[in-house]
Amino acid sequence: MIELNELQDAATKAFPADKLIPERDAAWALAAEMGWLMIRLPEELGGLGLGRDASTTIHFEMGRVLSSAPLIPAQLGLHAILESQTLTGREDWLERIASGEYVPLHMLPTKLETSADGAVSGTVSGVFEGDMATAVIAYLPGGYTLVPTDAPGVSLVERPIWDKSRRLFDLVLDGFRPDPALVLADAEGSRAIHDAIAPEAHIAVAADCLGGANAALDMSVEYMKMRKQFDRPIAMFQALKHRAADCKIGIVPAEALLWSRTANEAATPLELGALKTLAAEVYQAVTEEAIQFHGGIGLTDEHQIHLFMKRAMLNLQLCGSPDLWKERLGRAALAA
Amino acid sequence: MTDQAELESLRAEVRAWMEANAPRGWRDASRTQEDFVATQRAWFAKLVEGGYAIPHWPAGYPGGGRSLAEQKVIYEELARVDAPRLLLSFVSTYHAFATLHECASPEQKARYMPRILEGETWCQGFSEPGAGSDLAALKCKAVREVRDGKEVYVVNGQKIWSTMAQFADMCLLLVRTSSDGPKQAGITYLLMDMKSPGVTVSPIHQIQGDEEFAEIFLDNVVIPVEQRVGEEGKGWAVAQATLASERGLTLMELAYRMRGALSRVTELIRDNGLDNDAGVLRDLGSLVTQVDATCAIADQFLDNRIKGIERVGDASIVKNSYSRALRAYSLLGVRLGGMAEQYVKPITFGDLNTGNWMADFMNSYAWTIAGGSEEVQRNIIAERMLDMPREPKGWTL
Repeated sequence: MIELNELQDAATKAFPADKLIPERDAAWALAAEMGWLMIRLPEELGGLGLGRDASTTIHFEMGRVLSSAPLIPAQLGLHAILESQTLTGREDWLERIASGEYVPLHMLPTKLETSADGAVSGTVSGVFEGDMATAVIAYLPGGYTLVPTDAPGVSLVERPIWDKSRRLFDLVLDGFRPDPALVLADAEGSRAIHDAIAPEAHIAVAADCLGGANAALDMSVEYMKMRKQFDRPIAMFQALKHRAADCKIGIVPAEALLWSRTANEAATPLELGALKTLAAEVYQAVTEEAIQFHGGIGLTDEHQIHLFMKRAMLNLQLCGSPDLWKERLGRAALAA
Repeated sequence: MTDQAELESLRAEVRAWMEANAPRGWRDASRTQEDFVATQRAWFAKLVEGGYAIPHWPAGYPGGGRSLAEQKVIYEELARVDAPRLLLSFVSTYHAFATLHECASPEQKARYMPRILEGETWCQGFSEPGAGSDLAALKCKAVREVRDGKEVYVVNGQKIWSTMAQFADMCLLLVRTSSDGPKQAGITYLLMDMKSPGVTVSPIHQIQGDEEFAEIFLDNVVIPVEQRVGEEGKGWAVAQATLASERGLTLMELAYRMRGALSRVTELIRDNGLDNDAGVLRDLGSLVTQVDATCAIADQFLDNRIKGIERVGDASIVKNSYSRALRAYSLLGVRLGGMAEQYVKPITFGDLNTGNWMADFMNSYAWTIAGGSEEVQRNIIAERMLDMPREPKGWTL
């Protein structure tokens, strides 16, 4: 059994904190080599068989270095395939994923139409690192389906985003004919898959947020200790110390909630949505401050602090908006 | 090491005892401070009898010798039955106990410890009008003299922010015995009988109509040398034992109580017909998560203490997390309660989440100002956790 701190040590050695946005394909290959693509796959299916505290540890560390390797969509894709009752050749797909193929799950809303002859057209927006995917698990009108990216009627178009640590693609379908063998579940079964996987997505994104928030605060504190004005390091000014402390006061309880809910198998989807919302808001608040802490240099492309802010802003929009989750949470508290 | 099964068996035992013995309706019985004090004394005596009043004391005292994990169980169960918090005996069972236990002579321990269990209450005479966050700047002066053939200290000065000093039998008193050298070096720690001639206690009328704190005026108060803890001039180190006495249980208990009291906010929302106001629902949702995160960090803090891996500054994070959640909780109530909360309602003593929102809001300052202000805590977090440099010393007017 691998201990969490060993996993964390391995991650920080492989991905040192001073090297942000490690080159994507090399990072992906390294993650695959370390078994992280299979970290949650049961041992009898050839995986590491570790629990969600292990994947949370990895996502936390990848958030810290703004990893561009799409481990979260890949892990969700793996979960979707495991949940599927109908996919033909499931073992083959697991083997292909184990060998490093990228098969992400897409969870954002889509706009698609099916013609009378069953061909699907429209756009699946927001596929992370779509250019490296061999297939995308997309929510088609008939349910979650593997869409091979080289199939007829399928193309990928990159859409530039502010977040420089990741890339998003539109999966454009133009008369695409889904292969019935590649359907993971019908519409109803797909909703069940979505609900089963959403909690994993929430925990993973929350971990990414808090890893990043810690790194952004560390970078800011280092900068303030080095930057001198009025003959002293600006870190000596109480006005800045208190704001840095406020960032820490935001991060630490959110992290405690992350680990307690990760460990709690009985945590409800709502509680995990709330966790993700808190983590993303903390990340946003810390990175907003982090740019201010850096002053003018924080506005330059040359300094790296803006990279955290941009990742935070994108994370805030993933897994449902903060407003949506807060409203749900409030409604549930009222009903309790 | 206590194993899980033993803890669960303790939990069952404590739960049964609490359900049979915890007072109900104590809020209604605490409408005046005198009634509150009576309720507190009765509940403390009951807990002593049940063996749950002093789980943090060493074995040998009735109900003592509990591990931190066991103490946690007891506090969780206290919060669960919504029992009154032990406020009147807090200073005696935590601050006085820790000071005596760690720093006092065997004679002093034998003399004072049993009296605490009999219900003797203590107060803390640390802060002064000119020594708040900068406690070591205290000026209350003690001069050593011989009177009637006995060595005594004669003390003059003023103390402030002493919680419930008007009901206290004894006082943990910090005095200045020397003005030479660093300010910490001239401080001496004394145990003062509150009935001594020259002691005047004046309750402070607080903004919420409460009189939780008091001022203590000392006019030629004579304190025998035998009532000094530690050596003369070494009181600052003893005071650290006093201040470190609380082991994180209080904040865990309070965080859980606040979670239980979220129902007061939901009641308010329903009563005011705001059930479908999306903005209100979001504010409630944010508060729920803020309180949950506070419970999580309070839990983690205590678990780290149990494992012996606490880090410097952790306690400051927990305290600020709690105080901010408490502020947010009470402010939401004030806002949603509307005009109704602007009319004075009778206050409940000894409770933080009463649903008397303006009073709760004002009470929440106790956690951002007392026991190390939020600003001092933030300095600790910045300087000792984030390793940001201290400001240069030596500024003079």
